Amino acid sequence: MLSSGQIAELRAAVGADGLLTERAQLQTYECDGLTNFRVLPGAVVLPRSTEEVQAVVRICARHKIPFVSRGAGTGLSGGALPAAGGVVISLARMSRILQVDLANGYVVVEPGVINTQVTERVRAEGYFYAPDPSSQSVCTIGGNVAENSGGAHCLKYGFTVTHVLALEVVLPSGELVHFGSPTLDGPGYDLAGVFVGSEGTLGIATKVTLRIVRRPEMVQTLLAAFDSITAAGQTVSDIIAAGMLPSAMEIMDRLAIQAAEAAVHAHYPQCGGLLLVELDGPCTETEALMREVQALCRGNGAWEVRVAQSEQERAVVWKGRKAAFAAVGRISPNYIVQDGVVPRTALPHLLSEIDTLAAAAGLRVANVFHAGDGNLHPLVLYDRTVPGQEEAALDLSYRILHLCIENGGSITGEHGVGKEKQQALGAMFAEPDLATMQLVRCAFDPDGIANPDKVFPRPRLCAEKTGPYVPHPLETAGVAEFF
Amino acid sequence: MAMAASETLAQCLARVASIVGEEHASAAGEAICVAPANKEQIAEVLRLADVGGLCVAPVGSGSKWGWGNPVRPAIRLGLGRMQALREHAWADMTCTVEAGCSWAAMQNELQRHGQMVALDALWPERATVGGVVATNDSGALRLRYGGLRDLIIGMTLVLADGTIARTGGKVVKNVAGYDLQKLMTGSFGTLGVIAEVNFRLHPVEKDRLSCTVAAPEPAAFAAPLQKLLRWDLSLSSVQVRTGKEQCALDIALAGRPECLAEHQQRVKDLLGEAAVTEADEAVWQARQRLFESTLVLKVSVLPAEVCAVSSDLQQWSAANGMEVASVAQATGLMTVALQSAVDRGAELVEFLRRRVAACGGSAVVLRLPDALRSPTDIWGADPDSLPLMREIKRRFDPHRILNPGRFVGDI
Ligand SMILES: Cc1cc2nc3c(=O)[nH]c(=O)nc-3n(C[C@H](O)[C@H](O)[C@H](O)COP(=O)(O)OP(=O)(O)OC[C@H]3O[C@@H](n4cnc5c(N)ncnc54)[C@H](O)[C@@H]3O)c2cc1C
Repeated sequence: MLSSGQIAELRAAVGADGLLTERAQLQTYECDGLTNFRVLPGAVVLPRSTEEVQAVVRICARHKIPFVSRGAGTGLSGGALPAAGGVVISLARMSRILQVDLANGYVVVEPGVINTQVTERVRAEGYFYAPDPSSQSVCTIGGNVAENSGGAHCLKYGFTVTHVLALEVVLPSGELVHFGSPTLDGPGYDLAGVFVGSEGTLGIATKVTLRIVRRPEMVQTLLAAFDSITAAGQTVSDIIAAGMLPSAMEIMDRLAIQAAEAAVHAHYPQCGGLLLVELDGPCTETEALMREVQALCRGNGAWEVRVAQSEQERAVVWKGRKAAFAAVGRISPNYIVQDGVVPRTALPHLLSEIDTLAAAAGLRVANVFHAGDGNLHPLVLYDRTVPGQEEAALDLSYRILHLCIENGGSITGEHGVGKEKQQALGAMFAEPDLATMQLVRCAFDPDGIANPDKVFPRPRLCAEKTGPYVPHPLETAGVAEFF
Repeated sequence: MAMAASETLAQCLARVASIVGEEHASAAGEAICVAPANKEQIAEVLRLADVGGLCVAPVGSGSKWGWGNPVRPAIRLGLGRMQALREHAWADMTCTVEAGCSWAAMQNELQRHGQMVALDALWPERATVGGVVATNDSGALRLRYGGLRDLIIGMTLVLADGTIARTGGKVVKNVAGYDLQKLMTGSFGTLGVIAEVNFRLHPVEKDRLSCTVAAPEPAAFAAPLQKLLRWDLSLSSVQVRTGKEQCALDIALAGRPECLAEHQQRVKDLLGEAAVTEADEAVWQARQRLFESTLVLKVSVLPAEVCAVSSDLQQWSAANGMEVASVAQATGLMTVALQSAVDRGAELVEFLRRRVAACGGSAVVLRLPDALRSPTDIWGADPDSLPLMREIKRRFDPHRILNPGRFVGDI
């Protein structure tokens, strides 16, 4: 718990209107998008400037008070879950776009800026900010940086890290540092690259320089209906094998289609596997490629192939896909969103294994995935009121993660490790791998006060010694040499 | 660095030989050359060096040996025996390759399935994967495909204490754990030895054409270049080559054939039908050719400043009676070579640093004559994150055995 003296220091740092300590106020911040984990913080501060962030962090550093930064709280892995009795630093009030440099293709923003606001700001000039998480109308750039968020269009354009040129960061000591620059390859380690995706454990980003991209000449979106996920998946492989790099390739299964239809009436065909392909680029090229994609769809047995004829039709197609998570609420009282990755070619195998596991558990799983890069989002459906079902659903969802590891993939493609997957990280990486990551953590945050007890399998002190190299069990078993 | 007092060269050599085999360890002057066969052997050699306080320099083919501050290693750790392309998952468009594999050998293998690591490195026949990654090299393809930080999806590294660690993975999309491959890329062998690298791949550019347009000075290209980059063309690479009293803008297009002709026409309409000529692919070797000079810099400027900086440089060298050539990518990365009066290199370095400071850029000396070494600040940078970088180095390599002093701020 924070002492009254510490509370007074925080008040002096951010002003009375920047500090929340009432229980009812604090409850708003007790969880993020992963609502089954809840912890009440000791205080919430809402700084307005880098200086105020620094002042708060210095107080935390002096008293070794744990702090957790928070953007919009839409994270799905418990990243913004408060530390018990610690300080939550909300960046929501730091929401200005500070600079737009079109000639050099970048913008400088504060961390509380909402993802879509960046594109809105440069749209008229023909530019956009490419990373597009489904939550983009609410999540913040600070959160995106911390999670290295992705979206449907990252297949072609890359993830958040591809678009972060520079960062201003308040270190856990309160010091202010600058990583990267709008010019490439400045001398020194690529600390901006390391910071992106570090889930709030290395400090607080207070300014972000983002690369913006010019709008493509043409965008075309296609929907193709297949009898099975396998046929849809094969089409994705064929498209890639033909040397194309669509901006997005998404697959939904029957259950996910039903849910999306019920929620937003996207006019999706009812089928076993729905494939959505978006191509963008110069007109002649896009049109030529779209013809090839259509032929590949038909070749794999697509019985309906539609190309959206207007911007409005495109928007409807995407609305169904982007609403898919929430839409599942229409067909099931409760559900768990999982996020795993496998090499794309392992998708059909993995999906049939998921089916087997689901059948054995007596549960339904809806599948929505970014097929182009093997990132799947199985939605495990259950009913909390049925005794034992929640436990079974959680168990199934973790088993799916382990399947991903066994198939040479990853436990998270975009939602992060956070609180939820700490143990799973220990299954994916061996002890020496984790110990090496910990060296970075300790260099940035020797006292371990920035988002403590997240990401790593168990809290660890910076002075702790680890043992020598031990081969990972999977490696010994010959299952995977490196994953 | 000298051998530890307690150990003679012969003793050390014997111990190293017992790890890698006698035929793979030899004495070369004051140093020992050792060629481990795998990451486990790298780990054993490093452990031995760490305990003995012996300075180690990882070496690929040595093509960029002079880059960074000089190091006098007790052990030259050669990666020459680790050349395998371990895996090419062509359907997933990824590969895993050992650090000692030459860039060209890797590309030739990948080419069999029409794929490549989309980066044109210097001296591909000689340069090894490990060396390219450790120095963060990149060429003209960067405009379209990004740099190594966008192409590397995982890595196996060996730390100074012999820890073998993996980071990232074999899938293109992955946010589990810290992205240590970013930390290693461009770290000049100061944090660990890169043993294996996992890349994401792209299809090779089957249909590609290059064209060029000449002008007396690069400033003339500023406006058309801005326009060109705003259009949605199938651009692969764009560079501005500048020499004494002449310069050229080179453009490579790659894409579907039906599109290429149309885009080439748009380029011609922009730059003047008569002025644009077809260019030989060899123009893309221009950057590499600059390294025939003894003083070469990597300069980074804002993309929109490329032509202005190239012009200023041209004028400055004319006014100062020096022959300077440069190749600038549209990304803002330039290679600058001094081709006469090399003894006056310091003036050039100073001019460039002053010129790029205004836009937050940088100028790093890659190659310079020995006579200029000690008075020249190779890196020319003092970022406010330097104390943090030093702390990272201290955590990774507490006894400073890996390339000590080679990097920025004597890291
Ligand atoms: C319906 C829905 C759909 C989603 N779809 C996607 C998707 O398609 N792709 C995807 O990648 N994610 C998706 N997400 C997850 C989530 O939106 C992203 O992880 C997002 O980046 C979180 O942003 P936020 O502002 O809400 O961050 P928060 O949840 O507030 O915080 C996330 C993490 O960032 C840290 N953090 C926040 N600000 C800073 C800062 N300034 N400096 C340092 N650390 C900071 C926090 O400590 C925490 O660890 C989805 C979530 C929902 C609810």
